[in-house]
Amino acid sequence: MKIRIKNKEYEVEIIDNNQGKIIIKVDNKEFEFSLEENKLKNILPISSVKKQESVKEIKAPLTGTISDIFIKEGEEIKQGKKLLILSAMKMENEILCTHDSKIKKILIEKNQKVKEGDPLIILF
Amino acid sequence: MNYIEFEKTDSTNNEAKKGKYKPWTVLVAKEQTQGRGKLGEKWFSPNGGLYFSIILPKTNINDLQTMTILAAFCVAKIIKQEYDLEPLIKIPNDVLINNKKVCGILTENIIDKEIKLSVIGIGLNTNINKFNKELKNIATSISIESNKKINNKKIMEKIVLELKEQFKLIT
Repeated sequence: MKIRIKNKEYEVEIIDNNQGKIIIKVDNKEFEFSLEENKLKNILPISSVKKQESVKEIKAPLTGTISDIFIKEGEEIKQGKKLLILSAMKMENEILCTHDSKIKKILIEKNQKVKEGDPLIILF
Repeated sequence: MNYIEFEKTDSTNNEAKKGKYKPWTVLVAKEQTQGRGKLGEKWFSPNGGLYFSIILPKTNINDLQTMTILAAFCVAKIIKQEYDLEPLIKIPNDVLINNKKVCGILTENIIDKEIKLSVIGIGLNTNINKFNKELKNIATSISIESNKKINNKKIMEKIVLELKEQFKLIT
């Protein structure tokens, strides 16, 4: 596999010789490492190393139509920021952000009809 | 009645949504520069008309919808009672006289984890004697229909009292 560090690419290969040693080849140079079993167990799989994100959704509090959207994807927002207007039951409802966050994804468009509980916006 | 009067404001609902006022405070403006109805439609708000917003106590969304409809009912009832006119309620939030709009009602809620603030805004054409070309066939005023000068404060107080009574009944 290739790894890029500061714009330079390295060809890296990891070889387990099953004899308690691991060989890591970087651009055809070999580096040999002894395995200590207990320590190896503590190595986390790559998927777990990825930063944990607490994904939160803003859901439709009632059935209605999205009449305006005031935010963009990627935008950082403060608690209390007006996110959108949901026209419902002949009233206009301003939906505010409940905490400081960042907009990950906007799932709705202007004039779209939504049902109570439908996810509208995903926050980081 | 706790009411605050503005010579001119963009919209009394916008002022109400600043969150500075207690329930049942009434904000009234002699003129609005950005009066609006539902979905951002403009509400013609020159001097002479009655433009006010009532901060509602916290309640549930169904009660608020009922209040919107009841507000139209209250306005129509007061117009009939005081000026002997025959208003018609266009459900849910308009009042007409002779098929022309005389009143518009816009309820707005601010919601985060729960309903944080609710305001009911009422625009009532009282002492407006002339409408522009675009409006003259679809809008009217109480003064045009009754040939009377309207006491804005008096009619507002009656509407607010009536709304308070209705609110007690439904909540």
